[in-house]
Amino acid sequence: MLSYIISLIGLLLLSCIVQQFLPPIAPWYGARVLVLPLVVLCGSVTVSTAGMLVLAFLGGFLWDSQHIIQHPTLNPAVFAPPSDSLKFGYSIILYAFMGFLMQGIRPMFQEGKWYLSAGLTGVAILLYLFAEHLLRSFVRGSLDFDNGIINQIGMTSLFTMLASPVVFWMLYRIADLCGHEISD
Amino acid sequence: MFTLSEDSVRQVQKTYYSSIGPMISKGAKAEKFAHDFIQEVEHSSDLKRQLEQSQRERDRFKLIASRVRELEGENNELRSALSFQKQTEFDVIASRVIRRQPHIWNSTIEINRGAGEGMGVSLCVLASNGGLVGRVSLPGDNVSSVLLITDEESQVPARVEGTPEVGLIVGQRTAHGESPKLRLTYLSKNAILKKGMNVYTDGRGKLFPANIPIGTIDEFEAGPVYGDAEITPAVDFNNLKTVFVITDVTGD
Repeated sequence: MLSYIISLIGLLLLSCIVQQFLPPIAPWYGARVLVLPLVVLCGSVTVSTAGMLVLAFLGGFLWDSQHIIQHPTLNPAVFAPPSDSLKFGYSIILYAFMGFLMQGIRPMFQEGKWYLSAGLTGVAILLYLFAEHLLRSFVRGSLDFDNGIINQIGMTSLFTMLASPVVFWMLYRIADLCGHEISD
Repeated sequence: MFTLSEDSVRQVQKTYYSSIGPMISKGAKAEKFAHDFIQEVEHSSDLKRQLEQSQRERDRFKLIASRVRELEGENNELRSALSFQKQTEFDVIASRVIRRQPHIWNSTIEINRGAGEGMGVSLCVLASNGGLVGRVSLPGDNVSSVLLITDEESQVPARVEGTPEVGLIVGQRTAHGESPKLRLTYLSKNAILKKGMNVYTDGRGKLFPANIPIGTIDEFEAGPVYGDAEITPAVDFNNLKTVFVITDVTGD
């Protein structure tokens, strides 16, 4: 079990690097394949709740390290109140929620129905991106939901979901190598 | 047969030739036709070969022309960059844009200069036409991240040329591939602004030096408390290749 978790963490770090080289797919509304969240979600269904929380913590930590933009201290007499950005660590909470969602169908995954989990990764990514967008809109005090955003979120979820069988295949291989039972 | 006279033989031959004459004549025509046909086929194959060769050469020239255009564009851009670096009143470091839009939500670019080359947090970044691009948000060892002024989290104190109007430039979300727009907020609601008026940084807050071009006014909307104006940026953000980071603001 421990060797499997360590391997998962290694895969998570690898996905961070791979993520850097995946550009937006311009003809599809700038959609992306979100490899790092995908590894967290697929990994979540193969481990216990404690393992999932470890993955969510590390995944969220790495994600925010890549994406949060820190602003310098600004003169309040000139600039608008700087309440308009999310704080470091919010992704950990979101990843944990998505992890619990994935854990909900773990019994079926253990029965070998990996395709249900693959489908759920798409739903989880969709919810994650919607939640992230809502949070960002909320802290800025404006809610924008135009077609561009909806298409981008939808296509990103679809492309990420389509990549999930590859991640599941890798997880099965890693589990075999580590002697970890991820299905009955 | 051997005893036939010369006249008889001649008569026989005459009869023979007069009988086969038309056939020889037609055969000769057929032979000519066949000969012409074969020549035509050979000529066609030759023409086809020549056509194929011409097409190959045309494709090659097209490729060369496209490469020349590309190099010409690159050359113009480098000339413009060099000219900007010579003319600007600031100390600047030229940097190449190595990645665009690495974030899902934020408008950022990554440049090939890091902390070792003088990059620091909040340094101002300009385009080769002198327009404001953004500021360094995260200087790494070898690369740095630049937050563009088109990002929703960006704020730039600005003034409208020829008027007493000052406000804050903020980025606006646009669909992928669309040209980004900016919004100048906190203007007075009675401001008299016309389309095409220039907008510059005003230096308040010390985050950006004063008098850097930001864009031009597109449309002004008076609100109940403040007025807002839509701004077309001075910089073509979709084609940014080289940017300049101001390392020492001597012109402020």
